[in-house]
Amino acid sequence: MAAVTRKGGLGGRGGLGGTVSPQARGGLGGSSPRASRAWRWMILIVAAVYFLLPLWAALRFAGVSAFGSVISQPGFTSSLALSVRLAVITTLVTIALMLPTTVYVHLRLPKLRRLMEGITILPIVIPPVVLIVGVLAIAPGFLKATSWLLALAYVVLAMPFTYRALDAGLRALDLKTIVEASNSLGAGWISTLWRVLLPNLRTALLSATVLSVALVLGEFTMASLDLYQTFPVWIYVNSQTSGQVSVAASLLALFVTWIFLLGITVLGTRQSRKTGGGAVTLFTVARTETRGD
Amino acid sequence: MTTNTARDAAGTAGGTGLAGPGHGTSVRLKDLTRSFGATRALDGLSIEMAPGELVALLGPSGCGKTTALRIVAGFEIADTGSVLVDGKDVSSVPAAKRDMGMVFQSYSLFPNMTALDNVAFGLRMRKIGASQRRQRAGDLLDMVGLAPQAEQYPHQLSGGQQQRVALARALAIEPRVLLLDEPLSALDAKVRLQLREQIRTLQQRLGTTTLFVTHDQEEALSMADRVGVMSQGRLEQIAAPDELYTNPATAFVAEFVGVMNRIPGELQSGGQVTALGSTVPVRGDRPDEALVDLLVRPEGLRLEVVENGNGIVTTRTFLGSVTRVGVQLSGDVAVQVDRPSAESAALAPGASVSVSLPAEPVLVAPPPGQLMT
Repeated sequence: MAAVTRKGGLGGRGGLGGTVSPQARGGLGGSSPRASRAWRWMILIVAAVYFLLPLWAALRFAGVSAFGSVISQPGFTSSLALSVRLAVITTLVTIALMLPTTVYVHLRLPKLRRLMEGITILPIVIPPVVLIVGVLAIAPGFLKATSWLLALAYVVLAMPFTYRALDAGLRALDLKTIVEASNSLGAGWISTLWRVLLPNLRTALLSATVLSVALVLGEFTMASLDLYQTFPVWIYVNSQTSGQVSVAASLLALFVTWIFLLGITVLGTRQSRKTGGGAVTLFTVARTETRGD
Repeated sequence: MTTNTARDAAGTAGGTGLAGPGHGTSVRLKDLTRSFGATRALDGLSIEMAPGELVALLGPSGCGKTTALRIVAGFEIADTGSVLVDGKDVSSVPAAKRDMGMVFQSYSLFPNMTALDNVAFGLRMRKIGASQRRQRAGDLLDMVGLAPQAEQYPHQLSGGQQQRVALARALAIEPRVLLLDEPLSALDAKVRLQLREQIRTLQQRLGTTTLFVTHDQEEALSMADRVGVMSQGRLEQIAAPDELYTNPATAFVAEFVGVMNRIPGELQSGGQVTALGSTVPVRGDRPDEALVDLLVRPEGLRLEVVENGNGIVTTRTFLGSVTRVGVQLSGDVAVQVDRPSAESAALAPGASVSVSLPAEPVLVAPPPGQLMT
């Protein structure tokens, strides 16, 4: 499962603030088209080897039969169920907190956007170990025995990703004008948020969901220190007894997460293309320009 | 012309069941002030709008015209003063409950809704049933000539089409007041001209009291019943377009509306001023200084081709029925004079001419260097 954690982290950070620019397709500037094409292939091959070789090795090590026995292992269902539950709670709580906050900051306190960016980078910079030790030290007693504490700690971890996704989505809108147009047509705040803003932030919300879910499904440190057997913790514990089964389980988790991400991205992109938006990427929501005339 | 276009529009887009003239609302802006930090955006603005009237607020950027409109809409709150709609103070009514249709400068359609759904949005907020609001929204799209685009999303529409949908959307709620915040400024010249006429025709047909904010004098003069010229948060003058052009109340209005020449002159006792060799009466305010500038329109100057005149022709611009002639006078003064194109063959650059004043009252102003009082 370590592979899943790393993949999520890398994919997330690599995408920070990144936009798909036309130059990205153009290859390296200055060189001839043929040379730049060779370069592109080379980079692609190196990257493919780097990412696929470990997977292939893991697959060989586990063997096909191990996949069948994963599901029947004790603790598989309960740990997976716990992880999924944590993912759902974390995503919902994070969005419920961050959506109004981000909209409000954009609309009324645009000067605070820099500060917000600074604050929301903290959970990425501070190691999870430090966070969870701190949380455990100050958490009130009634929360300590429940999985809610872990979910709340995950909310802190998911906040930067959610904020960034929403921030990018809001930036693509002419928020002030749209909100005022909605108000002038008789819509109050709730109608405006529900009927106008939410549908236009669908892509951003999907990105936020994808990132939060991937984060929670792969998080190991906090869960193990908080003594919960989430799916990654279960895989780790299992690896002590049966290496092959735990590798099979982590590969399974990786593929399931991939398919899940792919599905959301494809669906989200189809939806957003219809209304003129860009493809769903993990951090940015591209916007197509209106025709000039 | 007014009755004709109104009747034409009623004929082509009849049967929409929309309110006709006579349902207008009176609007009164009473002594509005608004400061942003140290800047006074509005400094005691008062305007009265008759039912069904289109008033344009014209002025350079930062003159407070948009602030005034946003206070009427309920998006800004005045520091002092009030907005009265049909005699009732609406200052404490939130924007969503003011029943004012607004068209914005930037494209404001909801990207996730089709043109039809955009127009129907306000009706939906008023809890009007689905079939009825589709019907009405369809009628309005038809009225702005966009029925075929009903199912398209904003990103599939051109800028001009988007603003027409925005207009239909604002009118769909049968607003008591229509507010237009530079709705044409993002469009190219040709579309702007068409939409200008369309807005005016619809507005006259529906009789909706309309406040229109623009920095484009041509737009203001061609569309409005009355134009209010603003400067530094104050209303300089509010008058019908022709009145504004021919009888500007202040030097600011005179120079902001249309082309205006400045010719140095000298004030005489008894309300006279001397320039270009003649002495004419002064109209309006008289500065304290003796040396002033006369403000004269290009069509208000006389021009003759003479040997050893007081000026030399520098440029000649054909504008259709008239030709605008640039003349360099002595003392580094340049003026523009309009002549009928048929009579301007001899006014080639380099020709010696004589520029003179007709014996009519003129506006005077302190020379620009002394404006900082």
